[in-house]
Amino acid sequence: MTTPVLPAQAAGAPAQASATPLVSVEGLRMYFEITSGVLLSRHVGDIRAVDGIDLSIEKGETVGLVGESGCGKSTVGRTILRLYRPTAGRVVFDGQDITYAEGSTLRAVRRRMQMIFQDPYASLNPRMTAAGIVSEPMEIHNFASGRERRERVRDLLATVGLDPDYGDRYPHEFSGGQRQRIGVARALALHPDLIVADEPISALDVSIQAQIINLLERLQGEFGLTYLFIAHDLSVVRHISDRIAVMYLGKIVELTGSRALYERPLHPYSVALLSAVPIPDPAVEGRRRRIILTGDVPSPSNPPNGCRFHTRCWLRERLGNPDRCVAEEPVLREMTAGHAVACHFAEEVDGTAEQVQVTGRPGSGTPRAAAGPTPAAAGSMAGEAAGFPAAAPAAPASPEGDRPRLRKRS
Amino acid sequence: MRLLPEPAGRIEGGRVEFEGQDLIELDESEMRELRGKEIAMIFQDPMTSLNPVLTIEEQMVETIKAHKKITGSDARARAIELLSMVGIPQPEQRLRNFPHQFSGGMRQRVMIAMALALEPKLLIADEPTTALDVTIQAQVLELLSRLAADHGTAVILITHDLGVVAGMTRRTNVMYAGFVVESATTAELFAQPSHPYTVGLLHSMPRLDAQPGEPLIPIEGTPPDLRFAPVGCPFAPRCAWRVESCWRGMPPLEPLQPTTEVHMTGSGATHRCACWNRPTAEEASAGRPLRAGFTAAPEPIGAGR
Ligand SMILES: Nc1ncnc2c1ncn2[C@@H]1O[C@H](COP(=O)(O)OP(=O)(O)OP(=O)(O)O)[C@@H](O)[C@H]1O
Ligand code: SF4
Ligand code: SF4
Ligand SMILES: [Mg+2]
Repeated sequence: MTTPVLPAQAAGAPAQASATPLVSVEGLRMYFEITSGVLLSRHVGDIRAVDGIDLSIEKGETVGLVGESGCGKSTVGRTILRLYRPTAGRVVFDGQDITYAEGSTLRAVRRRMQMIFQDPYASLNPRMTAAGIVSEPMEIHNFASGRERRERVRDLLATVGLDPDYGDRYPHEFSGGQRQRIGVARALALHPDLIVADEPISALDVSIQAQIINLLERLQGEFGLTYLFIAHDLSVVRHISDRIAVMYLGKIVELTGSRALYERPLHPYSVALLSAVPIPDPAVEGRRRRIILTGDVPSPSNPPNGCRFHTRCWLRERLGNPDRCVAEEPVLREMTAGHAVACHFAEEVDGTAEQVQVTGRPGSGTPRAAAGPTPAAAGSMAGEAAGFPAAAPAAPASPEGDRPRLRKRS
Repeated sequence: MRLLPEPAGRIEGGRVEFEGQDLIELDESEMRELRGKEIAMIFQDPMTSLNPVLTIEEQMVETIKAHKKITGSDARARAIELLSMVGIPQPEQRLRNFPHQFSGGMRQRVMIAMALALEPKLLIADEPTTALDVTIQAQVLELLSRLAADHGTAVILITHDLGVVAGMTRRTNVMYAGFVVESATTAELFAQPSHPYTVGLLHSMPRLDAQPGEPLIPIEGTPPDLRFAPVGCPFAPRCAWRVESCWRGMPPLEPLQPTTEVHMTGSGATHRCACWNRPTAEEASAGRPLRAGFTAAPEPIGAGR
């Protein structure tokens, strides 16, 4: 059933070919029971939040986890941290099987893995000072004490860019970005190896998200941290990750380097997901075409047979609705080194107008996105909303000439 | 829309003109007439504007009948038509559902259907897709732009997502701390961002098409506290380009190029910017000041911000 755990071979992945990955997960399943009845609750079904995934994370690597709301991203993170007891499969941390670890064994590994949460408002105890919040994990784990602990708290606050003298203030006295920094300082308190960051910037004002992204990147270099970075924002995940796993309804459907995911997505769902991410550049947007997925995400308590994406898949429709998609579940198979895809027909994705149009750049040997026919229901996104005619779409001559004028590099 | 409750929110001054009429002068019943019929609004969270204890049918029929003299069954037929227009499958059955029986994206589409029920001339969409997944966002935005095009509706799209701005709009006003700091056609705004805040936003968010590893340049500091009126430029405390005068006077929104005539609307709208020390094109593309030896002017002692 399960495919072999894929090695990290993507460009940008840390070079050290360490024998044991820091985290490895095999055939992981995490079901939540659905019960009904008031007095005697009966087990009437399961929410299959995570339904058989394989994933490994090398030391020092950042692996991103993306997918739509409810696809199971947070549950993967929480199960790796063993906040849940897995329904099936294995969780191995630094060579040690912790799938069913308990008591002191679990406490010992927990010290090495920490979590950063989405909501800096909800995740900090409002009645504790910043210093108290940061030192609490040290108290729980008997880590340092007295003066040494107080020094460490000040160091940690300074490390995350806060004034150590603000340690006696309460969460409500800080801004959203500063609160997230407190959360980061707390996560660092015990010298962890792994940090699971679950939507760490989505609750923050756009103008300060970059501060936190840069902070996380700097800390990774400074402390050799390994990140599992969970977010629904693909641009952010792509920026920070070495490799990215795309999830759909409890499964990983594509796993590859973050460069390859954008330049050559091979799962029809990844293609649709990428095409839906707006790019802040009207010239590029004018050339891109969105794949509009119809219908809603199916329920994880009753996922579709065969390939879970078959109810919304544009490729399947293109291919004349082959039965295989309904009859047989596609396994994650390695198409090129370090690039794995769970689709029976992934070969067909390569070179399609849809794949090329994701980038808004011409692909080799494929008609220009702007000139070629557009997929069904695409249409121009440059909203004909305001009452004046559409600006003529940019029609640059050379692929280089049409690079967005404002680039991030000087 | 004049929806803010007084005295918490009040209009201090100025004019809001709609088809030549000053809305601030209208009384409440005239305003109510205009809302929904001429101007409709959709919100970030559709649950705030959908009534959880009424079916979609009850709510839609009520809205339609409130503004149009038609029978209940005609209103129902219109509701079905609107729901299928926004892509709700089996609209006859779905009419009987309550809001909680719809997914987030479907609720937002129901909201759009209700907003469009009266064929408004202006639709104000306040972060209409912020709470949605990108795939659902794409559905809703596509729907919005198609409907606006088919019916000639003008749309004000309020969003913090520059990607959505780039793909959906013709003209953009960038606001900071309650002020418009830059205004231009969308094409020009992105081709020649001229206000330090606009430049900052463009460099602080990773783009999907960026090269992995390209560093971000964050905007320093924290969002403005709107309880205190700024003395000088509201962006000064966070601005890398600030000069001494920025701490003293509020810069006016002025055309980039000296011009005799300022166009406020349309494809020839004048590019305007409120800044004493505008970044050059090279600086805008680098994301930081490039002038030799330039440092942001420190806050004057006793400025009392
Ligand atoms: N503790 C729980 N008990 C019951 N069901 C749960 C629990 N946690 C998650 N679920 C369900 O499992 C599925 C996956 O949830 P999860 O939170 O992992 O998704 P996610 O991908 O993180 O979504 P989001 O982007 O909205 O955070 C959802 O259907 C959710 O309702
Ligand atoms: S297996 Fe079939 S339904 Fe699934 S993604 Fe591939 S083509 Fe689409
Ligand atoms: S340069 Fe001065 S006026 Fe312009 S945005 Fe910065 S602080 Fe404001
Ligand atoms: Mg989550």
